[in-house]
Amino acid sequence: MNSVVELRHLTKVYKSMIALNDVSLSIEQDSIYGLLGRNGAGKTTLMSILTAQNFATSGEVEVFGENPYENARVLKRMCFVRESQKYPEDSKAKHAFANARRFFPHWDQVFAEELIEEFRLPLNTTVKKLSRGQQSAIGVIIGLASRAEITFFDEPYLGFDAVARQTFYDRLIADYAEHPRTVVLSSHLIDEVADLIENVIVIDRGSIIIDDSAEEVRKRAVNIVGDADAIARLVAGREVIHRESLGRVASVTMLGRLSSVDHEYIADANLDLAPVSLQQLIVRTTQEGPVDPSAAATEVRSVQT
Amino acid sequence: MTTIVEQPSGGMTSRPKSRTWGVVRLQFTNKQTFVWVPVVVLGGVWLITLIIYWIVSPSGANSPMYSGGSQAPLWYFAVVGAQAMNLTFYFSQAMSLTRREFYLGSLLAAGISAVGISLVFVALGLIEQATDGYGINGYFAYLPWIWEGGPLAAGTIYFVLTMLWFVLGFWFAIVKNRFGSLIVAVSLIGIALVLVAGAAWVSFNRAWPEVWMRLVDAQAIGLACWALGLTVVFALGSYLTLRRLTS
Repeated sequence: MNSVVELRHLTKVYKSMIALNDVSLSIEQDSIYGLLGRNGAGKTTLMSILTAQNFATSGEVEVFGENPYENARVLKRMCFVRESQKYPEDSKAKHAFANARRFFPHWDQVFAEELIEEFRLPLNTTVKKLSRGQQSAIGVIIGLASRAEITFFDEPYLGFDAVARQTFYDRLIADYAEHPRTVVLSSHLIDEVADLIENVIVIDRGSIIIDDSAEEVRKRAVNIVGDADAIARLVAGREVIHRESLGRVASVTMLGRLSSVDHEYIADANLDLAPVSLQQLIVRTTQEGPVDPSAAATEVRSVQT
Repeated sequence: MTTIVEQPSGGMTSRPKSRTWGVVRLQFTNKQTFVWVPVVVLGGVWLITLIIYWIVSPSGANSPMYSGGSQAPLWYFAVVGAQAMNLTFYFSQAMSLTRREFYLGSLLAAGISAVGISLVFVALGLIEQATDGYGINGYFAYLPWIWEGGPLAAGTIYFVLTMLWFVLGFWFAIVKNRFGSLIVAVSLIGIALVLVAGAAWVSFNRAWPEVWMRLVDAQAIGLACWALGLTVVFALGSYLTLRRLTS
């Protein structure tokens, strides 16, 4: 795979705060990334620097092998959809789309019109008078219909209802299948985007604490469902990150992998393995600092699932 | 990449040149800022001035009437400059434009608008010349001092002054977005202090008569050259300030 973005030792310092701390990262072509982290973790700063809308204090940024700053060749292959995009005074949604059509070389007008229909976006109302969700729809439509080679969505669904969010996810995944490209989706609705993203980047207090495929991240923990007592015996002495119970049935997520002994036990005790919630895993890591990968590795006692 | 997308009709490829031209069209997307409000200001001030002339003219004054009202549309371009910058810059960033493309396109858009307003002034001036001030000896656009060098020189002066105001508004908007309103206020007060200091210097040297003589002697077109120089300085300042503006 080719990497389209390379970051080396990127640091961004605001007056009194380190927004990004020695971030090194590469982003592969034609893949969907989830850029996850708490508010103020540095997600927006990172995407702003990648799109040359902000500047690094130190470190190197390469997008398509070049520095993106003041570089039209690189910039026109990217699209950055901000959480709260500003639009020119008194402009309307139709003006925004007319301009997007002009500046994004892969713009698909038919697709844009379908999306406008689906999001029920009024074209002739000034942006100021649109609801928060309708304003967000403008950004989402531009991000999707521009089909830029790298598209950044920074919490693009502010004010969206559940239906609109689902429309966004469905349209993104369907269009991505037809026109593969690189998408970086920043979100704190982790469970909602979990099925979309192929790679996970978790950023916390300016540092990358997870940078791995979604599949690998999920393997860092297991979720066992079944008889509460049987589960209690299994998880004794291990780090449990989530526990739910209903009567005698419990669902427990614990860090680490299962050994062959564990698997035998699970089979004998009639327990089930269920998918791990990415959200629980990430909430746990950003609450208490990174999961020590070496600690997780020592628990790989034998077989891997 | 295999994502070569079929271009819908009218889709254009974005070469740097056409992107700068695209910024001009972006600025004109909303006709209100660049076209309608200046037209209303110009038309309104012109109408008010004429009404005042019409009221005043029967009272017997035979000397020609001049008005400073014609400057209003030029000043308004400071507002246009600020508006061309404020929100539009952030939108241009979302359109993946470089700061240079945004800057050049915006100046080009202002230039087009300034040419338009200068043409209107020249046309009005010519009409006023031909009709002896609308028949009531009242002049709005035809100010003899400005028209000394003929219509072309007058048009150039109007153009330069319009651009000067635009660039000032544009630059102050950039400074405000980059450094905050406090710095704008401090710089405005700084500029005022420099002007006051200059005036004080002239006063202490009892040089006011000489200053007025110089101003009267100076040809309007000469002053326009100075204004052009200032415009270029402010335009360069704008670019240098914009280069590191973040969103």
